Amino acid sequence: MTVTIALPSKGRMKEDASAIFQRAGYTIVSVGNDRSYRGRVEGRDDIEIAFLSASEISREIGNGSVDFGVTGEDLVREGLAQADERVEFCARLGFGHADVVVAVPEIWLDVETMADLGDVAADFRARHGRRLTIATKYWRLTQQFFSGNHGIQLYRIVESLGATEGAPASGSADIIVDITSTGSTLNANHLKILSDGVILKSEACLVRARKPGHDGDPVVREIVAAVRGAL
Amino acid sequence: MPLINLPAFAPDLLADFAGLGTERVDTPVIQPAEPFLDMAGEDLRRRIFMTESETGESLCLRPEFTIPVCLRHIESATGTPRRYAYLGEVFRQRREGGSEFYQAGIEDLGEGDVAGADARAVHDALKVLSNRLPGRTLKVVLGDQSVFEAVVAACGLPGGWQKRLIHAFGNQDRLRGLLAELSEPASKGVFGAEVERLAILGILDDAAKLESHIDETMQATGYSTNASRSPAEIARRLREKMELASTRLDAGTLETLRAFLSIEVPLSEAPQALYDFARGHGLAIEAALSAFEARAQALASAGVDTAAIAYRSAFGRPLDYYTGLVFEITAGDDPAVLAGGGRFDRLMTLLGAKTRIPAVGFSLWLDRIEQAIEQGARA
Repeated sequence: MTVTIALPSKGRMKEDASAIFQRAGYTIVSVGNDRSYRGRVEGRDDIEIAFLSASEISREIGNGSVDFGVTGEDLVREGLAQADERVEFCARLGFGHADVVVAVPEIWLDVETMADLGDVAADFRARHGRRLTIATKYWRLTQQFFSGNHGIQLYRIVESLGATEGAPASGSADIIVDITSTGSTLNANHLKILSDGVILKSEACLVRARKPGHDGDPVVREIVAAVRGAL
Repeated sequence: MPLINLPAFAPDLLADFAGLGTERVDTPVIQPAEPFLDMAGEDLRRRIFMTESETGESLCLRPEFTIPVCLRHIESATGTPRRYAYLGEVFRQRREGGSEFYQAGIEDLGEGDVAGADARAVHDALKVLSNRLPGRTLKVVLGDQSVFEAVVAACGLPGGWQKRLIHAFGNQDRLRGLLAELSEPASKGVFGAEVERLAILGILDDAAKLESHIDETMQATGYSTNASRSPAEIARRLREKMELASTRLDAGTLETLRAFLSIEVPLSEAPQALYDFARGHGLAIEAALSAFEARAQALASAGVDTAAIAYRSAFGRPLDYYTGLVFEITAGDDPAVLAGGGRFDRLMTLLGAKTRIPAVGFSLWLDRIEQAIEQGARA
């Protein structure tokens, strides 16, 4: 069987992923020209490379149309219900670091923990005639963290696909759940991360779709071992 | 719409509802999703079937009847009291069982006689269930949010803690966790560096100074124009939180709360048990207890055997519009809940009613009742 690996199609993620595979002994070359979305590994007819966008990669691993993918853990956990049953995180690759965090306006001096936020959310409707609103693109992670881990149910999500950090100041939401790597954008927008508000410490991972055909497949085993060995 | 999968007993059930003096209403299957998400929270999103109208309005398949019936009442602007009955399909993603099933029930809106309306809800639910399941033992579990709220208030806990406890009522794990936190003298609030800086500057001790400091910072950072939480609200809660951090709860109060939450007696003995508990712990909760007793008496006068109802002090629903009575009915030893109900005096105003409308009701799980009938036939 041919093993398909989905890799990021552009930017730093593409370079970093290629570098790791190079160290693991797989030289990745594009089929045709540089801009091509198909690639191969030199000297290996049994491995195919598909260059996709990071969010597509998590979807394609989820539905099993590729065998492996390199993408952020946040995208996989956000995109797939019961992610751990459907995919295996084989290796953490040490790049693409980003934390998914709960951040509130700095001036909310009384809110430092999720418990504080729970108090504010419980009271919010009575005080403001509406529920506390959270701007985010991470619906699933937010719900799991708020209700599963902290018993907070009374809030509404306002979908935000960009410039999420600006939502509290502009009044389109009260707080945000977003990714941050250095925290500088949060600081610039006068937001602070709650002390127990880190939902996920994400980085790029080698992710395998859990497919029955993988059991005992020597190429699948070889790729996992080689990438782990290259870290 | 011809519904060939309707439970066979549906016509008899509707006849019962009519005999109980209710008015049958129907509501559209496709409902605006906002009210359900607003009342129950974002978690509901995963359990309902959502779609969008062409203009982008969020819609869902009716996940239950209470909110649609209440909204219909508010829109039709008819007076109260009204007693509505419904029977129809609801749609929810469930771990077990199909995702479309029938519910029926009664919503009693605007009845000023709280004890009488509560008793009638329990009585009517028992009556229609025993008509479907003749000869079967029906078990009722009953709880009361307002008694718990009264106990918490009478314990003299700081305001913040009262709110946390009341908010967690009905969620056993959460409540247990909170009590554990309360009993641990080391548990302090977490304060940020900025709060510590303000403490050193002496700004925290002065409510007016604190508020104007917050106001100035919000002006300077561009947070004032659209801010939801005002400087006054932030300052008030910060001071409340500081008060909590310096409060030690005495063992006696914890013991009182734990003792209350472990009360489980037949309803016939519950008023006395609660009076004894209040006296034993020195709590002034007469108003809540006399309302509780009035309901128990109303149930007895309605011909309900209150010795067969189990009162469980810790039983509640962690939704903020439930205000008093909650109950569930099961048959025999089967844990499947056949009927669930309660009082939700806060819901009508949350949904947009101009005046406060007291409300109590129950709903029946027709698929589970059908299974119970089949089990009875096999036994």
